[in-house]
Amino acid sequence: MPVRLGREPVAEIKTIPFPPQQERAPQTVELLGIRKTYDDFVAVDHLYLNIREGSVYGLLGPNGAGKTSTIRMMIGITLPDDGRVRLFGEPFHRGQLRRIGYMPEERGLYKRMKVLDHLVLLGRLHNLTERDARLRSLAWCERLQMGEWTHSKVEELSKGMQQKVQFIATLLHDPDLIIMDEPFSGLDPANAVMLKDVLIGLKKAGKTILFSTHRMDQVERLCDAICLIDHGRAILEGDLKKIKASYGKNHVQIECDGDPHLENCELVCSVNNYGNYVEVQLKPGADPQDLLRLVADRVRISRFELLEPSLEEIFIDQVGAHA
Amino acid sequence: MRNVWTLVKREYLARVRSRSFLIFTLLMPAVMAAMVLIPTTLARWDGGGMRKIVIVANNPELASVVGHELGNGRTQADDELQKSSAPAVYSIQVDTDTSEAERARLGQQVSEGKITGFLWLTDEALANHSVIYSTKEAADFTQGRELRNAITTGIARYRLAQKGMKGDEVDSLLAPTKLDTVRIEKGHQGASGSAVFLTAFFMVMLLYTVVLIYGLAVMRSVIEEKNTRILEVLLSTVTAKELLAGKIIGVGAVGLTQIMVWVIFAGLFSVPGLIAAKSFLSELHISVTAMIAFAAFFLMGYLLYSAMYAAIGAMVNTDQEAQQMQWPALVPLVLGVVLMNAVIQHPNSALAFWLSMVPFFAPILMLLRIVIEQPPVWQILLCLGLMLATVYGLLSLASRIYRVGILMYGKRPSLPELRRWLRYAE
Repeated sequence: MPVRLGREPVAEIKTIPFPPQQERAPQTVELLGIRKTYDDFVAVDHLYLNIREGSVYGLLGPNGAGKTSTIRMMIGITLPDDGRVRLFGEPFHRGQLRRIGYMPEERGLYKRMKVLDHLVLLGRLHNLTERDARLRSLAWCERLQMGEWTHSKVEELSKGMQQKVQFIATLLHDPDLIIMDEPFSGLDPANAVMLKDVLIGLKKAGKTILFSTHRMDQVERLCDAICLIDHGRAILEGDLKKIKASYGKNHVQIECDGDPHLENCELVCSVNNYGNYVEVQLKPGADPQDLLRLVADRVRISRFELLEPSLEEIFIDQVGAHA
Repeated sequence: MRNVWTLVKREYLARVRSRSFLIFTLLMPAVMAAMVLIPTTLARWDGGGMRKIVIVANNPELASVVGHELGNGRTQADDELQKSSAPAVYSIQVDTDTSEAERARLGQQVSEGKITGFLWLTDEALANHSVIYSTKEAADFTQGRELRNAITTGIARYRLAQKGMKGDEVDSLLAPTKLDTVRIEKGHQGASGSAVFLTAFFMVMLLYTVVLIYGLAVMRSVIEEKNTRILEVLLSTVTAKELLAGKIIGVGAVGLTQIMVWVIFAGLFSVPGLIAAKSFLSELHISVTAMIAFAAFFLMGYLLYSAMYAAIGAMVNTDQEAQQMQWPALVPLVLGVVLMNAVIQHPNSALAFWLSMVPFFAPILMLLRIVIEQPPVWQILLCLGLMLATVYGLLSLASRIYRVGILMYGKRPSLPELRRWLRYAE
């Protein structure tokens, strides 16, 4: 199945075929040409995307690209002007919300409520019984090392702790689809790792996870598939490994004694000297073998490595192509 | 519906448990009690002073009868309100010197403060049916009435005695007739009496205060939720309509709780022991009709204004912005109070009818009319019908603004933008 895109001519965009076994896998989320405009501003423009059950999906793009608008339409906070949303293999209906956990980017809590009461409230709104919500909240707080804070008011907690409360609230009702908008912003590294481990555990348990972020390096290692969006349009969607593979290994990292002086070399199109090593991007069609010979003639090489491009580089490349 | 209930519960408990609710609930009756107790207490202090009055008369016998009447205090107190102030104590002196020199001397004594005043009860004055009381302070209402009663009764008593009547015969003849005003006919203010007016004023001001306070509470609470960024978290499970319903019902329930606490307080006040306050409350002839009307108009008024306040709250981001934006809700409410006077004076007039039919004024003006003159049932029903339609329209309008506004954190919308908000898909 080719990558489905907006109104752009398909020829301009890399199409990444899904392997056949993935095509048959059930889709947790299907967005079919959704569009949202606010007055003259087009927030989301005929966006198509599919999220396979059990995968970790990255919705990536710069600030203001339409990520949050897309998510809001996905879970019925706003309705699309055009297009359809299907969740869990059926058209969207509000009953599905109890299978979804959403942590928005604009997230907050009632400051004067106690942590446990707050979690119980949000659990109740997700159809849990009072008792069930309480037990689950306590278990989660224990697990995320905030057991002694359950009777504190939210306003007495640090920012990071409040974020953990949000995180628990999102997962309390054991959702099948977890949507997190900028989940790691404002977290210290220790807590970020803790949350990441929880999410990886959930993925292993078969949950579908959707990340939305503009920090691509953060999710590059976590995601199975991605959708890059810019100005409300998908510019690249599909399996991350396939996307990267299609770009080929056109980056080279060279560790060597001294400067190889590649700035004016006809084989490369860009050079970044990081001090400890030099990173170059090869021109299309250039053979890395030729570069190795060239550098070996000039300096002593301790490492010469062919790399896949980073997501960020792919993104910049794609945005440039569509600008 | 379950979600709405959960939200109502949260809103209600968060408010009722707050310290400000406790303080306000306790403070309001205290302020009310003070408003009642302080004037009556002051009146008592004032009345407690000794009043030295000189009665100047050619006929000392007549003077002493009048003096006796004054000393007996109020003989014909027909006004319930006046009972609350203690009777003044009079010290009476009879003076038979009716010369102009004596008059000047007494005038001097008055201005020196040696006596409170003197009564010029000469034969000449009696013949003219015009008696002059000279005093430094302008005679207050109560005192003037007491004097007039004493003089009239005293003269009558004296003259009847002159005609040979015995003391007890005179007493029974002059026994005061108590007049109670009972509102049966569709009368005007004069016939309804102060009690009804007081009741109406009290109820309307209570309604105004509570609607204003809780309308503002709805607005503040929407702004606070916007600022804490909790709304999008909630919106992932509940609809904007459910949120709005939960907010308005929850805050309204707090308002009702507060009124109930105050009613209980008022009940406690009427327990013997707080006599002054009791006499005030006994003035409040709150009929069952008035109570039902109050409940109905409070509910409607609250829904109407809180819907407006919720919409305003959703449009703005800070309390300061809200200050500038709240006039569409505040102006009609205040205007209703301002127009009260016109309705009180002619509750039956066409003007009063039309004003009380305007849904934004109705909670105040129709309630006022119901308490003071009992308008025809069809008018009340028509008014409630109009209000119901307005409340429905405003709530659906407010929920559309709310739905869009709570997710907008930027600058507040201009009027054309607002119009577009109303048209966005649900």
